[in-house]
Amino acid sequence: MKFVLVDQLVSLEPGKRIVMAKNVSMAEEYLADHFPGFPVLPGVMMLEAAIQAAAWLVRVESNFAHSLVVLKEARGVRYGTFVAPGNTLVITAEAVEIAAGRSDFKIKGAVNGNNAIQARIELAHVNLAATDPAMQPIDRNVITALKERWQTILQHSPVTLPA
Amino acid sequence: MPMTQEEVFAKVKEVLTTALAVDDDEVTSQAKLSEDLGAESIDYLDIQFQLEKSFSIKIPKGELTPENLFTNPEYVQNGRMTPKGLAELKTRMPFADLTGFEADPDINKFRDVFTVDTLVKYVMTKVNT
Amino acid sequence: MVNDHSALIMRWIWIDKFEKFEVNVAAVAVKNVSLAEDHLHDHFPGFPVMPASLMIEGMAQTSGILVGAARNFKEKVILAKIGKATFSRLVRPGEQIVYSAKIVNVNETGAAIEGTISVRTTVGGQPTEISVGTVDMMFSHIDNNMSGMKFPDFNFVFNSQFMELFETYRRELNVQLPTT
Repeated sequence: MKFVLVDQLVSLEPGKRIVMAKNVSMAEEYLADHFPGFPVLPGVMMLEAAIQAAAWLVRVESNFAHSLVVLKEARGVRYGTFVAPGNTLVITAEAVEIAAGRSDFKIKGAVNGNNAIQARIELAHVNLAATDPAMQPIDRNVITALKERWQTILQHSPVTLPA
Repeated sequence: MPMTQEEVFAKVKEVLTTALAVDDDEVTSQAKLSEDLGAESIDYLDIQFQLEKSFSIKIPKGELTPENLFTNPEYVQNGRMTPKGLAELKTRMPFADLTGFEADPDINKFRDVFTVDTLVKYVMTKVNT
Repeated sequence: MVNDHSALIMRWIWIDKFEKFEVNVAAVAVKNVSLAEDHLHDHFPGFPVMPASLMIEGMAQTSGILVGAARNFKEKVILAKIGKATFSRLVRPGEQIVYSAKIVNVNETGAAIEGTISVRTTVGGQPTEISVGTVDMMFSHIDNNMSGMKFPDFNFVFNSQFMELFETYRRELNVQLPTT
C-alpha cells in the first residue's frame, strides 16, 4: 500500500473534525533518499496525510458518494519540526465547509505535541460519470475499493463510530 | 514615491492576507504577526520579499529584523535584554513601538514587537525618503 | 549509507529530466506518468491519477535544485512553505508533466519560487500541452536559519551522488550505438 498515508483513526466528529495518525518507519523506502543519512518524512507526504484524513471525513459524511476526492488548492502550508522514523504524525483536519462538490479544511499535523505542518486545503469531490456517463462502473469500482480500505483502517483503530 | 499611512496600510494588509492566509478583517493595526496572525519564521521572509515587491523597496539584511543582538552577552543575559541591549535595539528599530518589550524584555517575547503597525511604520520610512 | 553509490537516488525522484536550466533564473523539468508506478494503484484503485502532492514535490525538486545551484549548492535547501498550490485538471498515466519554475527572490536566509505545471498529452489524437496548475513555494537555507532544529552537519540535501546524477539530468546526450 505505497500511497496510503494514514494508518489509524483516532477520532471522528461527523462532518466536523477528524484526527488520524501516521507512523513513520525506516521501512518506508523513500526515506533512504530523503535524506541519505538523515531520514525524515517529506513535507509533501505530511500534506498528503492531511489530504487523505480530510478526504475520509468527506467520504464518511457523503456516504462515499464520489469516487475521487482530490486536492484543488492548498494555501499557507508551513512546516515546523522534522518527522523522523519511530515517530507518529497526528493529523487534525477541521472542516470549514463541506458541500456536495467541494470542501474546505484547516489542517494541522503534530509530532509529540510539536507543530510539523499547518495548512488550509480545498478538496474537489469528483465522479467520472459526470464527465462521461460510460465511466459509471469505474466510479463504482473505486468507491467499493475505498469502502473496503476504510473498513480495514477502522478494524485496527481504537474508535467506535456512531451508527 | 511618497505614500500616506493609509495607502501603505492597505498594501501591507494585502501582503499579509496573502502571506499568512488570513482574512482581511483579522489584519488590524495592532495585530501581532506571530501571536495573532500565526506567522512562523519562514513567513517573515515571505513578508519581507513581498513588501520588497509590492513597494519596490530593498530591505537589507538586519534592517527590519535586527541581527546579532541576541547572541551578544552584553545585550542579553539570562534570556532577558539588558539596558545596553535595549538602547541598541532602539537605534536599530526606530520605527518600532518597543514600550511593551521594554517593560518585559524576555527575548522569547521579542516577536510580539512585530505588529502590522510596525511594518507600516517601517515601510513609511522607506517610501517617504 | 551516505557514500553507498548503489543507493542511487531513485526512490524519491519526481522529475525525470531537465529541459531548461538557467542558473539563478528559471528551470523546466519533465516527469513521465506511468502505469508502472506503484503509488498510482493506490490513488485510486481502479482509476490511477497522479497525486497533487507528488506534483508539488516535482515542483519542489525542480525549484530546489534551481535555488541550490544559484548558491553553488553550499547550503541545505529545505521546503519551508507552500504559499499557494492550485490544480485544475486530473493527470493520468501516459501523460508527461512539465514543471516550469522561476526564482522570484533569493537571499542567505531562503528563496521564493513561482511555478506552473502543465501536461503534454493528446486530445482527439493530437499532441497538445494543457495547463494543470500553479505552485508558489519557499525554501529555507537551514544552515543560515537554524530555527532551533537539530540536523546533521553534512549536506544531506545535495550529496555527492545527487551531484553526479544532476549532471546526467542536465546534459543533452544523443548516444548512437555503434553499427555492426
